[in-house]
Amino acid sequence: MKLKSFKILSLGVSLLFFASSCVKMDTYAGPDASLSGSVIEDGGKTNVQTCSGNFSIRLEQLSWDSTPSPQDIPVKYDGTYQNLKLFSGHYRVSIHGGAFWPVAPEEMDISSGSSHDFKLTPYLVVSNFKAEMTDSTTLRLTYSLSAPVAGIPKILEIQPYLNTTQIVGPGASIYDFSDLNKVAINKDWADFNAAEKNGEIIVSNLIPGRIFYVRMGVKFDNNDKSSNLSSVIKITVPAKK
Amino acid sequence: MKKRFLNIVAGCLLLASCQKLDIPPVDILTDDQIFGSEAGINAYLAQVYRKLPIEDFTYRPDGRNDGAGNIGFNLHHEWEHFYCEAAADGEMVGPYGGVDIAGGFGYWPYRDIRDVNYFIETLPEYAKNFTPDKVTSLLGEAHFLRAYYYFALAKRYGGIPIVKNVQHYPQQTIEELQVPRNTEEQVWNFIGNDLDTAYQMCSETNVAERANKYAAMAFKSRAMVYAGSIARYGSQVFVDGAAHSQGLVGISADKAAGFYQKAIDAAKTLEGKYSLYRAKTDKTDNFVNIFLDAKSPENILIRSFYAGDPERNHSFDATYSPNSDMNYMTAGGLSRTYPTLEFVQHFNSFDFVTNADGTPKRYNSQAEMAQGLEPRLRATVYFPGDVLRGVPFDVQAGIYPSFSGTAADEVAKSPGTRSYILSGDHQTTRNGRLIIGKAGMYPPAFGNDNNTRTGFYVRKYIDYNKGISAVNLFTSTTPWIELRYAEVLLNRAEADIELNQTSDALKCINDIRDRAGAPLATAADMTVATYRNERAKELAFENHYWWDIKRWRIADQLLSNTHFHGLMPYYVESENKYIFLKELELFNRNYAFEKKFYYEQIPGGELATNPNLYPNNPGY
Repeated sequence: MKLKSFKILSLGVSLLFFASSCVKMDTYAGPDASLSGSVIEDGGKTNVQTCSGNFSIRLEQLSWDSTPSPQDIPVKYDGTYQNLKLFSGHYRVSIHGGAFWPVAPEEMDISSGSSHDFKLTPYLVVSNFKAEMTDSTTLRLTYSLSAPVAGIPKILEIQPYLNTTQIVGPGASIYDFSDLNKVAINKDWADFNAAEKNGEIIVSNLIPGRIFYVRMGVKFDNNDKSSNLSSVIKITVPAKK
Repeated sequence: MKKRFLNIVAGCLLLASCQKLDIPPVDILTDDQIFGSEAGINAYLAQVYRKLPIEDFTYRPDGRNDGAGNIGFNLHHEWEHFYCEAAADGEMVGPYGGVDIAGGFGYWPYRDIRDVNYFIETLPEYAKNFTPDKVTSLLGEAHFLRAYYYFALAKRYGGIPIVKNVQHYPQQTIEELQVPRNTEEQVWNFIGNDLDTAYQMCSETNVAERANKYAAMAFKSRAMVYAGSIARYGSQVFVDGAAHSQGLVGISADKAAGFYQKAIDAAKTLEGKYSLYRAKTDKTDNFVNIFLDAKSPENILIRSFYAGDPERNHSFDATYSPNSDMNYMTAGGLSRTYPTLEFVQHFNSFDFVTNADGTPKRYNSQAEMAQGLEPRLRATVYFPGDVLRGVPFDVQAGIYPSFSGTAADEVAKSPGTRSYILSGDHQTTRNGRLIIGKAGMYPPAFGNDNNTRTGFYVRKYIDYNKGISAVNLFTSTTPWIELRYAEVLLNRAEADIELNQTSDALKCINDIRDRAGAPLATAADMTVATYRNERAKELAFENHYWWDIKRWRIADQLLSNTHFHGLMPYYVESENKYIFLKELELFNRNYAFEKKFYYEQIPGGELATNPNLYPNNPGY
């Protein structure tokens, strides 16, 4: 009885496969091309500081359609990007979003193992970023800001970002430590004084015994209200004695 | 045998012989039937009005698909009215996780526009069936309907293709049918012109659910302040991109004044024809009844709902009052959307709940706090202690055995160190008193939003005449008021203030304030902030605010990782008093509006069929 029902079942399944099997063969090549690279600060050798969801590399496959639907590759927090499942062809590649001086889109052929690095100039460079515990639960962050090119968009706010992993930044942070310590700025870079260019932020009431990854960011009133970010520092809040 | 065979052959031949094939199809209505009588016309237009993108109770701005061919608008069997625009724009907090509606749902009603264009082209062929006046007014009405569809498109996408004739396939080539986008300015002008045509052609009066000539002008006043504000404020806040530089989105700032003036001119045509509702002497009572009294002289265009079959009712009453899982104020359904402290602060700072020394003011009852507030606010929001259907809004966040210190210090404490007593149900008592009341608030981590998260419930549009047993899902038939005269006055006041026509603005604003029971304004008050605040108060929860903060280009500031607040009532046991604390709403949700959301993206499917819709809107 069992065998019989198995036979019927297998017959049914194979019939189903037979009926649904496609006669027309798909002869298109699979997505065998790839594109990877880094986003580097112009004039420097370091990758730009970013975070997940901050900005992306936009691809438009011109060899497919004159008005292709864009596909975006997110730039990872370490400033690299890659997509290993692309179709070979001629693409327009551009930067989508981010707090950088715009760069012109480039057209290139993408095939297996293609790579391309972007050189970007951030609106503001956040340097000398330091984090120190001033008492058992209070964190003091210091930083310096400099603008490689004048005429940047208005600065909206400056804020720390804290998270429990090194993926930290706008969209990946703990609200109580990050957004609640936001400093509203709302002014142009030209109106920044020396003290504001070398500022500090205090984050208090951290949880004892926890490890946090911390960085700070400057948000602009640009198209996507994106931020320039500092490097990430790991801090350990001492456990309660 | 042979003979029988021949008979069969002959019979077959006989049966196969053709009757006349060219008969009118019996399964569809023909033009002769539709345009042959007023009943046919009414049936045709009923379909058009049914599909009109009116953002009524049942509108789902998150684009719910009812599986019956409707997305967002005019859904079949829709009851979850708490998924509304007001729950995403900060007027209320609700089931959305934040600003979840900004992406739109690909609304693209060219099929419905075609129905209107078909009507405009076909009716004249059948003009002999009607009086000339009737033909004229019907054509005017069609222009109103067409403008209405284009308005719903323009406020979402900016410039879209203007199609004003019926298109034919395969008679026209694909290339001809791939109509390119018009500029945003052209679209708003097209809407204005269609409404002018409607005004000239429509009759003075019509049934309440259909447009007359004044509905066209009321709607034009709305459309033109939209266009004016997009020109004025959209040229200050925008996202760069090809669509912007080509004028497909955005209007140059020098066009603002012209649009604003058109709004004023349109609004003035209603003067003397419509008036604000003032039937009741008590101002709160009066404001409540604006939305319930079918005889309101304020109503310009409504959408009716009906009991029975086919189902055309809604569930507003059962989805905005507490059921508390015990049929407390309704006989079914549940609520999930609640006004925010930020919303009621359009009326009053509510700083009076705190004494000068920072301690919370003590009240003898829940209801005492809201005494003396503006009648319009009392008519828009149910406060703790208010009564509906014979039972009170018994709202408590919890009980303090005793309370000392300032409100600010208490709220700043972490929840674990606060001495309050909370409860996740409506049965648990402490010394004989329910901890959260029968309509009160579940603790933050409880994850249930079926009762208020802010201390408030909605009152506008709630039918207080019904008993509890009559309030259930699909039992409400309160009409939706799509156009009312107060909005026209606000459109006019906004345009007046933008053009420095202070005295006319003051007249409009004070008409509204007098009816609302609010203090009258002076000429010095006629500022941008005043008209915006007045509009937020008067038109609250009527699906205006979302579009207003977008067209004023302030949504990205108001909803900038914003967390909203409530006014939480607590009972202080040791004193037998009530206190109210301003705290984060219980779910503490984050509302973030990106600048690119000022325009929705052109739907991907449409871009794929019509490359002339490129470039897409900026930022997408």
